[in-house]
Amino acid sequence: MTLLPYAHALLARQDLPIPEWLFAWGASIVLIVSFFALSVAWREPRFEEERWRPLGAGLSRALLGLPAQILCGAIGVFLLGVAVYAGLRGTEAPDRNFALTFVFVTVWLGFPVLSVLLGDVFRPFNPWRAIGRAVGGTFGALAGQRPAHLAYPEALGRWPAAIGLLAFVWLEVVYGPSGGVAVGLSPQTTAVAALAYSGYTLAMIALFGTEKWCERGEVFSVYFGMFAQLGAFGARDGRLGLRRPFSAATRWATVPGSAAVVIASIASTSFDGAQEGAFQGAIESVIDWFLDIGLGAVAAERVADTLFMLLCFGGVWLIYMLGVRGMASVGGAPSVQRLRSGFAHTLIPIALAYLVAHYFSLFVFQEQAQFTYLLSDPLGTASTDLFGTASGGIDFRILSANAIWYVQVGALVIGHVIALTLAHDRAVAYWGDYRQAARSQYWMLAVMVAFTCFGLYLLSVANG
Amino acid sequence: MRLMRTYAAVAVFALGAAGALSACGDDEESTATTARTTDSTNTPSGAQSTTPEEPATPTIVVRGGKPVGGVTELDYEAGEQVRFTVRSNTADEVHIHGYDVSKEIPAGGSATISFPADIEGIFEGELHGSGEQIVELRVEP
Repeated sequence: MTLLPYAHALLARQDLPIPEWLFAWGASIVLIVSFFALSVAWREPRFEEERWRPLGAGLSRALLGLPAQILCGAIGVFLLGVAVYAGLRGTEAPDRNFALTFVFVTVWLGFPVLSVLLGDVFRPFNPWRAIGRAVGGTFGALAGQRPAHLAYPEALGRWPAAIGLLAFVWLEVVYGPSGGVAVGLSPQTTAVAALAYSGYTLAMIALFGTEKWCERGEVFSVYFGMFAQLGAFGARDGRLGLRRPFSAATRWATVPGSAAVVIASIASTSFDGAQEGAFQGAIESVIDWFLDIGLGAVAAERVADTLFMLLCFGGVWLIYMLGVRGMASVGGAPSVQRLRSGFAHTLIPIALAYLVAHYFSLFVFQEQAQFTYLLSDPLGTASTDLFGTASGGIDFRILSANAIWYVQVGALVIGHVIALTLAHDRAVAYWGDYRQAARSQYWMLAVMVAFTCFGLYLLSVANG
Repeated sequence: MRLMRTYAAVAVFALGAAGALSACGDDEESTATTARTTDSTNTPSGAQSTTPEEPATPTIVVRGGKPVGGVTELDYEAGEQVRFTVRSNTADEVHIHGYDVSKEIPAGGSATISFPADIEGIFEGELHGSGEQIVELRVEP
């Protein structure tokens, strides 16, 4: 449904659906791996302890010291400024404007992977945290006391971040003038949204304090921080260290609302993947229904898309809660509430696998634009050539369809295996009795198989 | 024994789920193809040996900046030659995304677009003047 000219935004190329034979192979491998996992089940938890050990003190000082913090913070604020300026003053063509690719591809899709590999790298570059700390530090120096903050209502937990995450993705894939594309937003709207979010975030930081809000409510910190829990690098008390991979994740979800964050991530990726494929027919009929009752074309599309996005959230939540309820029925189970937060971290690898499966090719192609013409000519007005790369472009030949398919299916299978591993490990920790633990995991296994096969299915009918 | 039974139950559940999903997929696919108007031209498969038969060049008719009969879907295998004609009553320019191929159409005339299908994926072709999508190219490996 094309409503506006040039509405297809960033993507000049879309992925082909995975062929049936690969869908069948992927699903078969998932099942075989799952049964293998049951047979090799271990009896002692292996990931409950981080076994954190510090890296060299010099390295920690260099990377985490005050000069590095100031530099990284300044870079973060500068890049936010560039994105907002390009959005407001640059071209209206989404693919030629720095703002869209930088926010929705480079940052939004780049940091989850970067965080797993290198630790919580968004934290030092977070522009709002940097501003909050600079203002707080200046206030402290002038007033001779630390700024007073309200106590954060801990019952809210990470819910503000979960809702913010849904709102961000809604803006990206629903609000834009043309639904059904990777980013349907105009650069101007992106800039205005970034300014509004900055105002909101700085207000919350003033109320509750920089670190508190970044741990609980700031969408990007919470979201990227979640993926950082999977990785081996982590800082403690200003020291950089190595820990057992995946181990930090086991404590992540104890804060209320954490399950909602990871479920929002899986749901929004599912929705974006399904709106041009699996759900296309259904969404179109709902749009028609809204048109019939007198809604305008744009409104009908937005309302229908919003409903389907919320439906995805509800669906993913329901599948997860079925697994939790099932586990609760096994003898010796902890309370449903404890199970719900205790297994939420096992969905993080699934969320990451979904991201890779759906956005890998977009990221590889669009980053070529980011580091050529968008870097040299951020406004897209052909007025600058800062690094001499303004005439560069995207080479779509660097990835074959086969390469993309194997990465997509490989990501889902690997995410599935890690998720199963984490769930089994947690069960062994919760159920003293090994047999009961194994029995509880039939439920989580069914949940994981459902998510992974649903992911494969979305790929097989993508862009139908 | 008991363990085996549970294994079997899980297997049945999982296979059932997979089966349901793929059955679902067939449904969706058929609704999707009926929902959009599609003129697929069949490309000769396995034609890499000797000279392939020249398929008839599909023609897309544009009236008032809109494609008559909706967006045309053209399927190719990588390495084949993309070839189609656009006839329009108004002057416009056809642009194929990804390949970045453009061609002017004079008012009341036609233009034939032809280039090798050497990038795999799905690409939109649109009219720059009216902004309407007229063709979807699918290049399979």
